[in-house]
Amino acid sequence: MSVARRTFIQLGAGATVGILFTPTVWKALDDVSIWTQNWPWIPKLKYGAVEAKPTVSKMCESGCAVKVRTVAGEPFGTMGNEDNPISGGGICPLCANGVQVKNSPNRIKAPMLDGQEITWEKAQEVVAEKLAAAGSKVAVISGDQTGTANEVFSALLADKGSDAFYMMPCDMQAADKAWTGLMGGSGQVGYDLEGADLVLLAGADALESWGPTVANLKSFAANESGKFIFAGPMQTKTASVTSLWVPVPAEGMAAFTLGIAYYVLQAGKTVDTADFGQFKAMVMSEYSPAKVEAATGVKADRMADLAKQLLTASNPVVVPAGPVAAHGAAFALNLLLGGAMKALPEFGKAIPSAMSRSEMLKADILEGVDTDLLFIYEANPAYALPEKVKAGFTVAFDVVQTETTATANLVLPSLHPYERFDDLASPYGLAAATYSLGAPVCKPSVDAISAATFILGLADLGFESFEEVLGAKAEAVGADMEALQGGEAFVAEGETPAAASLAANVLGKAAVPVKGTGAVGLAPYTLLNVGTANQATTPNAPCTISNNQLVGDHMVVMMGSATAKQLGVSVGSKVKLSGGKGDCEALVQIFEGVMPGVVAAPLGLGHTVGDEFSKGKGDNVYKILTVSSEAAAGASTWAGSTVNVAKI
Amino acid sequence: MEERKASKRCGGVFPFIIGFLAFCVLGWAVIPGLFFDKEEQPVWFSHAVHVEGQGMDCESCHYFRDDGTYAGFPTNEVCAECHAVDPEEAQAAIVEEGIDPTDYDAIMKAGIGAIEDNLASSDDDKMQAEREYVVKYLIQGKEVPWLNYQYQPDNVYFSHASHMSLSIEELASLKKELSDVVDPSVFEGEAPEQNCNLCHPKDIQANDVPPALERNILSGYSKTTMKMWKCERCHALKGQPNACYTCHK
Repeated sequence: MSVARRTFIQLGAGATVGILFTPTVWKALDDVSIWTQNWPWIPKLKYGAVEAKPTVSKMCESGCAVKVRTVAGEPFGTMGNEDNPISGGGICPLCANGVQVKNSPNRIKAPMLDGQEITWEKAQEVVAEKLAAAGSKVAVISGDQTGTANEVFSALLADKGSDAFYMMPCDMQAADKAWTGLMGGSGQVGYDLEGADLVLLAGADALESWGPTVANLKSFAANESGKFIFAGPMQTKTASVTSLWVPVPAEGMAAFTLGIAYYVLQAGKTVDTADFGQFKAMVMSEYSPAKVEAATGVKADRMADLAKQLLTASNPVVVPAGPVAAHGAAFALNLLLGGAMKALPEFGKAIPSAMSRSEMLKADILEGVDTDLLFIYEANPAYALPEKVKAGFTVAFDVVQTETTATANLVLPSLHPYERFDDLASPYGLAAATYSLGAPVCKPSVDAISAATFILGLADLGFESFEEVLGAKAEAVGADMEALQGGEAFVAEGETPAAASLAANVLGKAAVPVKGTGAVGLAPYTLLNVGTANQATTPNAPCTISNNQLVGDHMVVMMGSATAKQLGVSVGSKVKLSGGKGDCEALVQIFEGVMPGVVAAPLGLGHTVGDEFSKGKGDNVYKILTVSSEAAAGASTWAGSTVNVAKI
Repeated sequence: MEERKASKRCGGVFPFIIGFLAFCVLGWAVIPGLFFDKEEQPVWFSHAVHVEGQGMDCESCHYFRDDGTYAGFPTNEVCAECHAVDPEEAQAAIVEEGIDPTDYDAIMKAGIGAIEDNLASSDDDKMQAEREYVVKYLIQGKEVPWLNYQYQPDNVYFSHASHMSLSIEELASLKKELSDVVDPSVFEGEAPEQNCNLCHPKDIQANDVPPALERNILSGYSKTTMKMWKCERCHALKGQPNACYTCHK
């Protein structure tokens, strides 16, 4: 026994030494060390051709013309499209994160009926049944300001004998109500920011969140000799790069504009409309600088100086935002000045029975919606509208889960803009009518279909798919489909605007500042990186949100030191803002760029549904906005919202 | 006592020497081979048929893109330039025959005209390989998962463009120094116009049956994947930078 054991030990010792004289051990160690660098969960690169495919992104309100960077057909990044005038190679903070949103776990992955996953066939059956039962009590809320998908939805409504098409509140709507509604103008209003030598941004935060922001920034950069002035209740980022900030309360913007018009009329400027005399008399008597100063707090001298600058400029333009009255006043002033405001021709319709854009903008969603069957297309009214939208059955189309999809009866996943055909027809604010088209750049990553194609399956509207509708649209526009798919835009120059009336009667009453009863005025503002009414902040954007909007999970509101003293709060105070039909919690920040008696709060925070980047971050300011009626103008507005502030 | 005697008889240095020699032989000749699994390419691709038979050159499939990146293996798009089977037409014909589109064997046996009439090969065995490619990949819209004999880890940025001007003829002067980095046989005979042989299997363009990829069972890499020290050695010999960021971007 001991012999075998000793021999074995000697043999083993020899084997051990022997193996050390071979590469085996060292190779095994080397391989194991490499193996430890290659755990199965380590992401693997996708190899293949790197391309930049043109398409359109619909994440911001005006939409961006983009190029999606792909490798082996898989998108990994988004950049601007230098061949398209909307983009000029730039991109907004929301659309820049298109790929991240496309791949987000927050995407709706399949049709859901009352929380249960169903097939598309079943969804089609359910909607067809509800549609038949609803008769003409069908409504649509659209969050898309530029797409031909709206034509498909409105054609469905027309087929059912309904005209209840609602757009989410937007400046394009206020502009249309003022221009085509009150003043009898035609086409869509645009502003030549690049060609103007003086731009008065009357509340339009054009370099941050208003209109086609990227195009505005490009125009601002290209317009080296032009002078930009910003008027509004707070010194926005736009105001910080303009030549001058004129503090004007939001509800006083129309009166302020008419106060400037006073001097312009005094200088002898006229407009060829039937009611010009009436308009002049109204302004001269009711909006004299002294009266405007008393109503808005803006010094008469300041208005006189602005009027002088506008009168001496060769191509000035006033760019409004907010209520219908503010738009009407600005358009009247622009007509008097004869500057860089344009009237854009409207593109032809793809579907004859569809509404025109102007018709789509007529209904006022702030007055409330009550219907049997409601289609919500990529909008988030449950989050952004203080008034309840009532419907017997709600069908919500969206790419990602939102407060609206959480409460809808039937949720249908939309294709992401990079996975579908879509278009951008004349985003509001551009100086030229512009049409861009987007085609899919990658395969769908969830079980989604085009919302418009789904609708086309519900009624005989003359088209089988949305792609066909866009073909017809391109033809109606007169554009070359191949060039559009290659990323180029079709452009029709804006024309000199002409109005039938200056709406003297209406403006005289509607421009009077109306303020709520709260302790301080509320100046809600939008930053694209924080989000919009339809789109919460995107995955890479939170790191760009500053401490003036969000600290940890707490929203931050800004006010001047005089206002803080008046309210008995200081930097870091936790406060409750009450207004409208709700209240918000926030921390206080002192910023002297906010008018006295006003508190500025960021819109877009406080989501209760969404991804880790937006859910539970800050509070929802839409809850504390007060809807007031612009009685004379036949519209509703949030301007003039006030809040009470209590320290907690 | 018996055991003690036995111990003396069998003791000493012999068992040690036997163990030493046996494991030296095993360690050099047998065990290294056990570290590798052999994997066949998904499709029998004959370079000889394409290069010698059809007169194609390397750049027909392995080319630089317009942006300077290297395309590597050809995609279906490139293959379909010659293999003219229309995927939609073929799929429609398969459905018409009542065959399950994923039952590859049944499709290949069915002799479907939309596929068979467009095959380019003449020999039976070559035609079978082409048929397999067409049925399993081309008409399915799936790229062939070619096995790469030299693939590098994802954390290595290797630019073919930066190495395309290396000349085997010039490197021949460093033959001795490079002997453990590249296959010495690369420097034998007349230097080829292209330097692919430096890293890739020599004369692969004449190969009829693709060699199996030998995959290391521990690390997962190909046996011929270049190790970092080899890259560094060559860079040092050529006076090129060896800083980390040179390859790890």
